[in-house]
Amino acid sequence: MDSPTIATENLTRRFGELVAVEEVNLRVAAGQFFGFLGPNGAGKSTTIKMLTGLLAPSSGRIQILGRDLITNTVEVKRQIGVVPEGMALFGRLTGPEYLNFVGRMYGLDRQTAASRASELMEFMQLVDQPKTMVTDYSHGMQKKLALAAAVIHGPRVLFLDEPFEGVDAIAAGTLKAMLQRMIARGATVFLTSHVLEIVERLCTHVGIIHRGRLVAQGSIEELRAGVEAQAAALADTTTAVDGPRERLTLEQIFLRIVGGARSADPELSWL
Amino acid sequence: MVVMNHSETGPARTAESNNSFRPDAVPRARHQMAAVADLRWRIFANSLRTFHGRLELASRIFVGIAFLAGGIGGAIGLGATAWYLMSSGDAEWLGALLWPVFLFWQLFPLMATAFTENLESASLLRFPLTYRSYFCIRLAYGSLDPATTVASFWLAGITFGVAAAKPRLFPWTALVLLIFAISNLLLARMTFAWLERWLAQRRTREIMGILFFICILSLQLVGPLIAYYGHRKKSETRIFGQELSVAQKPLPPGLAAAAIARASQGQVGASLTYFLLLSLYGLAFLWLLNFRLRAEYRGENLSESARRKPASAEPQAFSPGWNLPLLSGAVAAVFEKELRYLSRSGPMLFTLVVPLFMLLVFRSPGHSQGLFAHAPELTFPLGAAYSLLLLTNLSYNNFGADGTGLQFFFAAPVRFSNIMIGKNLAHTAIFVWEVALVWLGTTVLYRPPSIRITLATVAGILFALPIDLAAGNIFSIYSPSRIEAGVFGRQRASLTTVLASFGIRGLLFGVATLMFWVSRRYENSWIWLLAFLPPALVACATYAFTLKGLDQMALNHREDLISQLSRM
Repeated sequence: MDSPTIATENLTRRFGELVAVEEVNLRVAAGQFFGFLGPNGAGKSTTIKMLTGLLAPSSGRIQILGRDLITNTVEVKRQIGVVPEGMALFGRLTGPEYLNFVGRMYGLDRQTAASRASELMEFMQLVDQPKTMVTDYSHGMQKKLALAAAVIHGPRVLFLDEPFEGVDAIAAGTLKAMLQRMIARGATVFLTSHVLEIVERLCTHVGIIHRGRLVAQGSIEELRAGVEAQAAALADTTTAVDGPRERLTLEQIFLRIVGGARSADPELSWL
Repeated sequence: MVVMNHSETGPARTAESNNSFRPDAVPRARHQMAAVADLRWRIFANSLRTFHGRLELASRIFVGIAFLAGGIGGAIGLGATAWYLMSSGDAEWLGALLWPVFLFWQLFPLMATAFTENLESASLLRFPLTYRSYFCIRLAYGSLDPATTVASFWLAGITFGVAAAKPRLFPWTALVLLIFAISNLLLARMTFAWLERWLAQRRTREIMGILFFICILSLQLVGPLIAYYGHRKKSETRIFGQELSVAQKPLPPGLAAAAIARASQGQVGASLTYFLLLSLYGLAFLWLLNFRLRAEYRGENLSESARRKPASAEPQAFSPGWNLPLLSGAVAAVFEKELRYLSRSGPMLFTLVVPLFMLLVFRSPGHSQGLFAHAPELTFPLGAAYSLLLLTNLSYNNFGADGTGLQFFFAAPVRFSNIMIGKNLAHTAIFVWEVALVWLGTTVLYRPPSIRITLATVAGILFALPIDLAAGNIFSIYSPSRIEAGVFGRQRASLTTVLASFGIRGLLFGVATLMFWVSRRYENSWIWLLAFLPPALVACATYAFTLKGLDQMALNHREDLISQLSRM
């Protein structure tokens, strides 16, 4: 079996007393479109920050493309693209200037960086705003620019923290087209998102983190089968269910795994 | 298409909602103010969890003691002067005491923004605040300003000084100076509120920046003007003083002084008139402040979203980045990015010409050869030293303007030391440009600096600049401060950094002065040059050494750095 593109071994991060991420063992194979899901505060952003070198793990190991992130930081970073939380843009540059800058930071020569910047501005439909400073871009435009910057050097792995947050359908369509293009050329995409419909449509595999622990990992079909088998086993012990069951959506799978479905709430009587 | 039938559930739901969604209680203004005060306290207490926060607190305590000393010392001095003026029948001259108070109160918060706290109004407006509460909270923030506290001490000193000389005037003086204080407070808040409005949009922000620097530069002319008039004959000075006295009378400090002076002379009517005029100023400031805050309260739209232009049919080719032969791609990219950033800052562009302006100022009309008449050889080195001072906000807060962009530096496959080299080179380029400008200015305005002085200054720069950059790099990592162009008081480095930079510059300039003194004593400028060379070598080695440690230092502090600069 090929070594996974992203692999973590007992990855842990503590903030004082709080264990934000606890002994996470992730395996993401090459070419996978991997959705990393979890409720708010589950440890998604902390994990992605550690995977991209923005945060040091308290313990555990991270391997990207078979290399240790801590000991081969620069080599690993050269192969990955990142859209972190907050997008990491430089507001006082124009879009093309920013892409040029990022391209050169990733080792592209001036001409290549400029020509790729031009193509990316075109693809992301930002080309009509070449002189506008990034700070004056709308939120959707900034997201598109951040993704363009993350792919300018042709990374083999792409990490995206909430790429669809606050983005309208048109901009989301552009982002999805770009991501599918990346997958088509064999790249691995690792994204966190709260929009489960998008994850279900785009991702082939998901990992679910809950209270800092990785509670499920695999293809969506595997997760669905697991949850359905569990539900069937539970039904056998209580009451028999007749007729075909409805196919579970990712949202239902997610809620069953993290136990987020709420029963009737007795609290908040004043509301 | 699915259409919801509202008529089935609507009315019943609405009727129910009317009961269940009634708020428990109408929010009271004082509760809301207490909540805002509590919020500030908690933000402060939570900030102490980080090293940066504790360092900032230590700096604030240090500065607070200095302010307290200034406040109490000033109050004693002004009180004694007020007592003397009242006792000697020169009550009219009280204006000379009130003007510095007025100027300090209004100008200090603008010039020393690192000491100024400001409130983001947008964060408050989502709550059900009445306009009155909003107004009071905005005003209350002003009273916590160091300038307000110090100036209040001074006014109290003047009040007691007047009362000591003429006890019967105490209530009247207290009332007049209270109105004077309120007018000052309202004026300061009004200025801030309007500045914030202008700073909210880039275009007006740039214009404001330029006007602000013109004001700062104009203040530099005060010294030469005093020197100029100080050298005139006594009679001429007296005439000028009288003219100035007439001109200042209709302004708040003049009116407050006149109200007290007339009362001391028993002219009740005139005193009341001046008092009423002073109160009118207060009302005018209140009206203007109210006008601005009401617009904020109503939720004015100061959006700067880009206007959509029609898409061009032809794909556009963008120019490649700068070609800088001796630098690696990443260092060149950072260098270019820094200079592009700075070139888009109006105040920064003005900073470039400030040293030249200072040379003009020092060549004041009151002296045949200006301030450097006694030591003309000092012109160039002092100009260079001044240029180094101007770099503080850049070199001691390297990532301040990057904001969330800082995360990119940690995600990019580039060593942090290379990023610092790019930034340091950009700042050095600006500094070299400034020094060249100073050299040219000295040549044109005074006389060409001798080769010995030029070389000694260059040696001095080679000593001071690497140390300064090395210290700046470390402080940029340990004590970063996000620069927010749109919020007044958030365009400067942190207080800790400002104090540290003063200390380091003090040390550097102290060493330079000592060496210069030794070289003058032995009447040999070459000593200066030779004395600077070994420390310059040590400084360069220190810079290289600290650069090596920056990668690890940045990695160790990346969480603090990112949270300080990326927070919304």
